[in-house]
Amino acid sequence: MSHSQRSDIFLLDAERTTWHDETLWFVRQKRDKAVYALPEFQDLRELASQIKNHTLSKLDHYLVQFEEAATRNGVQVHWAADAAEHNAIVLGLIRKHNATRVVKSKSMLTEECHLNPHLIKNGIEVIDTDLGERIIQMREEAPSHVVLPAIHLKKEDVGDTFHIHLGTTKGNNDPQQLTEAARQHLREKFLAGEVAISGVNFAIAETGSVVVCTNEGNADLGVNLAKVHIACMGMEKLIPRLSDLSVFTRVLTRSATGQPVTTYTSHFTKPAPGKEMHIVIVDNGRTKQLGRPDFRASLKCIRCGACMNTCPVYRRSGGHSYDFTIPGPIGAILSPNIDMRKHASLPFASTLCGSCTDVCPVKIDIHTQLYKWRQVLAAEGEIPASKKWSMRLLSSVLSRPGMYGLGGKMARQGLRFLPHGLTHAKGYNPWAIARELPEPPKQSFREWYEQQQKVK
Amino acid sequence: MSNSREKILAAVKANQPEELPLPDVPAFTGDGSLEKFTTILEGIGGKVVPIRGITHLDVVVQELFPTDERVASTLMASSVLVDAQTPIEVLAAVDIAVLQGEFGVAENGTIWLPEANMLNRALPMITQHLVLVLDHKQIVPTMHQAYAKLGSVGDYGIFLAGPSKTADIEQSLVIGAHGARSLTVLLV
Ligand code: SF4
Repeated sequence: MSHSQRSDIFLLDAERTTWHDETLWFVRQKRDKAVYALPEFQDLRELASQIKNHTLSKLDHYLVQFEEAATRNGVQVHWAADAAEHNAIVLGLIRKHNATRVVKSKSMLTEECHLNPHLIKNGIEVIDTDLGERIIQMREEAPSHVVLPAIHLKKEDVGDTFHIHLGTTKGNNDPQQLTEAARQHLREKFLAGEVAISGVNFAIAETGSVVVCTNEGNADLGVNLAKVHIACMGMEKLIPRLSDLSVFTRVLTRSATGQPVTTYTSHFTKPAPGKEMHIVIVDNGRTKQLGRPDFRASLKCIRCGACMNTCPVYRRSGGHSYDFTIPGPIGAILSPNIDMRKHASLPFASTLCGSCTDVCPVKIDIHTQLYKWRQVLAAEGEIPASKKWSMRLLSSVLSRPGMYGLGGKMARQGLRFLPHGLTHAKGYNPWAIARELPEPPKQSFREWYEQQQKVK
Repeated sequence: MSNSREKILAAVKANQPEELPLPDVPAFTGDGSLEKFTTILEGIGGKVVPIRGITHLDVVVQELFPTDERVASTLMASSVLVDAQTPIEVLAAVDIAVLQGEFGVAENGTIWLPEANMLNRALPMITQHLVLVLDHKQIVPTMHQAYAKLGSVGDYGIFLAGPSKTADIEQSLVIGAHGARSLTVLLV
């Protein structure tokens, strides 16, 4: 299925689509309010962008520096070339400790690697502890947004889910009470957790620390109660210095939700006495993306979700329509790197309005990259046949002025006589499914211009 | 495993672009007033209470939480003794933790809480209510001054801004997700 076919499914529920659209736009407005209140925000974006550019240009150096510092801190560092190796390392660590109960805080990387199914298959109980993630885990769904994983659901859906899985009263859809039920349920899981897995927002090369940002406190609670902490990170999470964190903590949540900062900005440097801390550094296609000059800037992403909240296509098609771990504009430039054929429709799921680029806190040229992916996909023959043939036809017409004039005349005449059912037939004019063709003009601009010249 | 390490580092080296400059981060400053800090912290769900001094902390805490009894603290008489080795069941029963906050950041209402002030790494999250005592003179304007002041983040430390919260159900803000249900800052 293509992105537009999956969007059709989302759009079946008009009321929900409108709610989704408006809610995310509201988050975008909160972002604006927070950003406009900070006079140096544009300077901070530029700094964040330059720090990331620099880090990517010396990534080998910073990876080694980070590894050395972390090792000195008593942390064990592991390297995974791909998802399978990442999953094997994590499972190996859990097995080494004879553990079966794992609590996990938010990590898009472990989603990308499909860690949960792998652990479950091997007899490990893994509980997502972020509330949104726990909800979708119970429903066996994927997150639909990087910051708001359950944004595709309404409180009635959550009420039903909790009724089935947590035994809350049927019809109790009160967010306060549902959150309390989840708190009680997850507390048991936290107390029983033997191994805690966390994601990483930032990894500081000079200190070997990993920084995790949450609002719920679930990462800290899980990690500090368990014997073993496994932090999983994509290799692009590095920043050189502790002082660089000031830039990123100032832009991350303002861009994401309009909050001044997350409730918990936690710095994990050394394991507590008697406990273990591991960091798994994952490639999984990132070095390949680093080698594509047109697309390497996508590795600067700090997963704030602002490009999703602002995107007119994402807001009206929902995160699941992208069928990729990271949805929205950034997902549409990351996904073809992983599987060009499977995700070929995603770079077309954009109006190229550039709103994503305008809000991105690390100044990724997202819409330019979307456009460039379209060129690559066309060159590789990965665009849909209808698009390919219509483009070919169009270019042959546009390069022949005579044919262009004739075609215009025929269309102006033809549209007057042809029945609506034919000109708007879904089969060959998908453009007209939700649109009306304009009234054909009596004459073309060329004809009008010639007429004007004669009058003079 | 180490094989992947060499492979990844070699691929990074081969694929990364020419070195680009690392910018200096200027120390952007701003309003570092207690008023700003208080307004922002209250805006994100924290409670700010000025007190005379810490000699009568027990009275203040008793007034704030009349029905809760199990208190763990570095600053006042505790009814639950907590250290790094305290078993999980004991930690889970703590009602109130009263700890020292190091300094606050005015721009976002966050407070630095290093491991040394926590008694146990899990305490600030597992307690039902968290009370932080903060010297009202210890406020810096922005995160730039905050990290500069720190120099080192130690073994473990948190910038904490308000009580645990979530908006994962239909974007409705709910205070008290998994961590402390409330955060009270006692200003001395
Ligand atoms: S691409 Fe930019 S705006 Fe989108 S999630 Fe990443 S950092 Fe945020």
